[in-house]
Amino acid sequence: MAALWQSIWQAVWQAFLSGSFWYPLAFFLFAAGVLIPALLVVFSKNIVHSALWLLPCLASVAGLFLLLGAELVAAIQILIYCGGIVVLILFAIMLTHGVGDPDVRVHNQQLWWALLPAAGLGFVILYLLHSESWPVAPPAISADVTARLADALLTSYVLAFEVASVILLVAMIGAIVIARGEPKQ
Amino acid sequence: MSGQLPIPVQAYLVVSAALFAIGLLGVLTRRNAVAVLLGVELMLNAANINFVAFWRYAGGGRMEGQVFAVIVMTIAAAEAAIALAIILNVYRRFKTMNVDQIALMKG
Repeated sequence: MAALWQSIWQAVWQAFLSGSFWYPLAFFLFAAGVLIPALLVVFSKNIVHSALWLLPCLASVAGLFLLLGAELVAAIQILIYCGGIVVLILFAIMLTHGVGDPDVRVHNQQLWWALLPAAGLGFVILYLLHSESWPVAPPAISADVTARLADALLTSYVLAFEVASVILLVAMIGAIVIARGEPKQ
Repeated sequence: MSGQLPIPVQAYLVVSAALFAIGLLGVLTRRNAVAVLLGVELMLNAANINFVAFWRYAGGGRMEGQVFAVIVMTIAAAEAAIALAIILNVYRRFKTMNVDQIALMKG
């Protein structure tokens, strides 16, 4: 009996030390950190709260990227989404809205109808997930992922890279021109 | 760790599908134009989770998944800037942010 308990304890301890304990725990924490704030983004009454709940959601998506071994994409996610887009959205809210009027309806009349396509899409994807066999990943990937990403961006995908830079320039100038409005006569 | 990651790829796909459905719900139901944009951002993030997950699980050493994720983020940044500029202009003209009241072209 003592030997049995000792073997169980050793198995638990081994799992604790290896990735097969921490990795699923971290995954479930990050998954909850994505989905619960996402629901609050969609359903909170105050638009400023909605925008702020986007922060933990996007940061947890960066955590999922880290778990998948894509460090550079996780860093870009934090920089662009949490640092750039959320701040931009907050600026737009401050510039336009009478902030947080609790009497205004935040959802339109089609909430229950909209549940139909959203839940239907979710169920179709879950059914496909259930009915298909999926690949399993090797435990380790090479350490030079970021270097190889840079190589791919500047060799095979250099056209997409350059076009993206042109799009950013066009979007910047376009945003300035559109947001400035009509010039006063 | 016996030869594979301790989480199957379906776990990431389930999170991504749920995030996409939540974002779709936000796009379809919110009245405020900025909130609709927030739903679009959630859906783009769901797509990015799929890209990176399949890069890790089925990439076979190629980098397309991460390249696509980075390009999608770039386009998302450009899209957010343009959309917010348009929303500012619409607010100046109609004095409202609710997309169901901006129905000038409704027959």
